[in-house]
Amino acid sequence: MLKQALVATLLLAALPVAADTPQQLIAGYAAQAASNQPGFVPSAERGRQLYMNRFALADKMPNCAACHTEKPVAPGTHVITGKAIQPLAPAANPERLTSSSKVEKWFKRNCSEVVGRECTAAEKADFLQFLANGG
Amino acid sequence: MNRILVWDLPVRLGHWTLAASFAVAWLTAESESWRNVHVAAGYVFAATIAFRLAWGLVGTRYARFSSFVRGPKAVFSYLGSLLTTRPQHWVGHNPAGGWAILGLLGLGLVTAMSGIAAYNDFGGELFEELHEGAASAALALVGVHLAGVLVGSLAHRENLLRAMFTGYKNGEPVAAIRRQAWIAAGLQAAWITLGAMYLKQVVG
Repeated sequence: MLKQALVATLLLAALPVAADTPQQLIAGYAAQAASNQPGFVPSAERGRQLYMNRFALADKMPNCAACHTEKPVAPGTHVITGKAIQPLAPAANPERLTSSSKVEKWFKRNCSEVVGRECTAAEKADFLQFLANGG
Repeated sequence: MNRILVWDLPVRLGHWTLAASFAVAWLTAESESWRNVHVAAGYVFAATIAFRLAWGLVGTRYARFSSFVRGPKAVFSYLGSLLTTRPQHWVGHNPAGGWAILGLLGLGLVTAMSGIAAYNDFGGELFEELHEGAASAALALVGVHLAGVLVGSLAHRENLLRAMFTGYKNGEPVAAIRRQAWIAAGLQAAWITLGAMYLKQVVG
């Protein structure tokens, strides 16, 4: 019974998540943003500003770059645990920005902890554009 | 009926260590600032489960798996009896509670091991998803466990929550265990401390 449940869980977890492309994810957030701001166009430059902006809410994690370095094509280091972090930019790490649920999960966690609130759809579109451009 | 010792010290210490470390790990799960605390709680949790598995083989009477792991027939017969005016009474874990314990230990083990794998960037998304899924399933089972404690307490008119603190329940003197197992509890404390430190050293 337990074994079967375990196997089922493993199989479920192994199922490939519907694959997305960075462009699809950006388009999705841009469309959401456009409902509030007609004519919204994602901007890698605004994304870079969000990435570099020192919110300084969390002691050791003032901004994204604190862990992910100033260049998202470079591997980062978790400032709290010291663990390696794979590059954020798809150019350096093709697994990035291929799952909308994973992208949402990390926006939810890291925006609330580093920015201090949920990020807006416009910010997400800009941020992903910045990453997609390779930083 | 007398007040008799049923849960030895390692069972009670282990139970509350698991409950506390799971709660801490759950509450710190989504924060990177608290990541080291989350991981430390996970190591304590893992070491406590390992000890519990061994104690389930060599512990005192009601701590042993052989005393509370029963087939589906016994479980459904027990659950059915709760609907009657004369519910079956078990001194140790009832058969349904026995299943909950196996489920919690099993899910706890999967949660801890997949967490260690994910933390080491091993196995990619698979273990990350498994870690979150198993932890959520474990929390759901904690809910079932708490409901069971409440129903059992009402059905048998005994305070099962207090029993997990004091170790004492109502029963025939012949059903009592004879020792608190103080030495084993000392070994348990050392095992959990050193085990968590070892995991910290090896896994990071």
